[in-house]
Amino acid sequence: MSSVILKTVGRIIVPFMQVFGIYVVLFGHISPGGGFAGGTILGASFIMTKLAYGNDYCKKKFKFQKLLTIATISILFYGIIKGYSFITGGSHIDSPSLPLGHPGNILSGAYIVPLNIAVGIIVTITIYFFYSFFDEGEV
Amino acid sequence: MEIFLIIMLIFLIISSIAVAFIENLFSVVIVFMVYSLIMAILWEQLNAPDLAITEAAVGAGVTTVLFIITLRKMRGNKNV
Repeated sequence: MSSVILKTVGRIIVPFMQVFGIYVVLFGHISPGGGFAGGTILGASFIMTKLAYGNDYCKKKFKFQKLLTIATISILFYGIIKGYSFITGGSHIDSPSLPLGHPGNILSGAYIVPLNIAVGIIVTITIYFFYSFFDEGEV
Repeated sequence: MEIFLIIMLIFLIISSIAVAFIENLFSVVIVFMVYSLIMAILWEQLNAPDLAITEAAVGAGVTTVLFIITLRKMRGNKNV
């Protein structure tokens, strides 16, 4: 898996894949897509980075400890935000919550955008870990 | 649109049966990817574009890469 065609085309195509993945994550509440689909596309772009730039470059860029810290923080964030919205959702508790916004804008649908971003980060790192474990047994 | 759906369903059945009968493992992986792509088109025709995006990214993209890596490990880093 180290041909010239793969390396050249991979370096060109990686930014477009990442932009499309971020678009699918951010517009998950007003168009098809969401955290899981966008996170998978972002993870595929990470896999393409590893194929195009080689293992040593990615080992320097994406450290195992750093990625694990980011995934843990986002899963804690998801749990806290979702639990808060469950508790205050229909219980007649007058606690502060995010504004609902205007339907159709990006900043509408109070808690869906941060939850989608958290799910996207977790799925991205999980897909990258899958590839790394299958490829060489370590990240 | 009915004819398009029927043609796609016929291709889906043919590819899913061919996966079980082809002997070359690399060809099996590619035919399985074709199955996932046809399934993504069918999800889109059934008004489920969300599932279509996920099927095209997971089924045709990531799963195929993982299968090919496993195949390369089985053959001892020679081919593929």
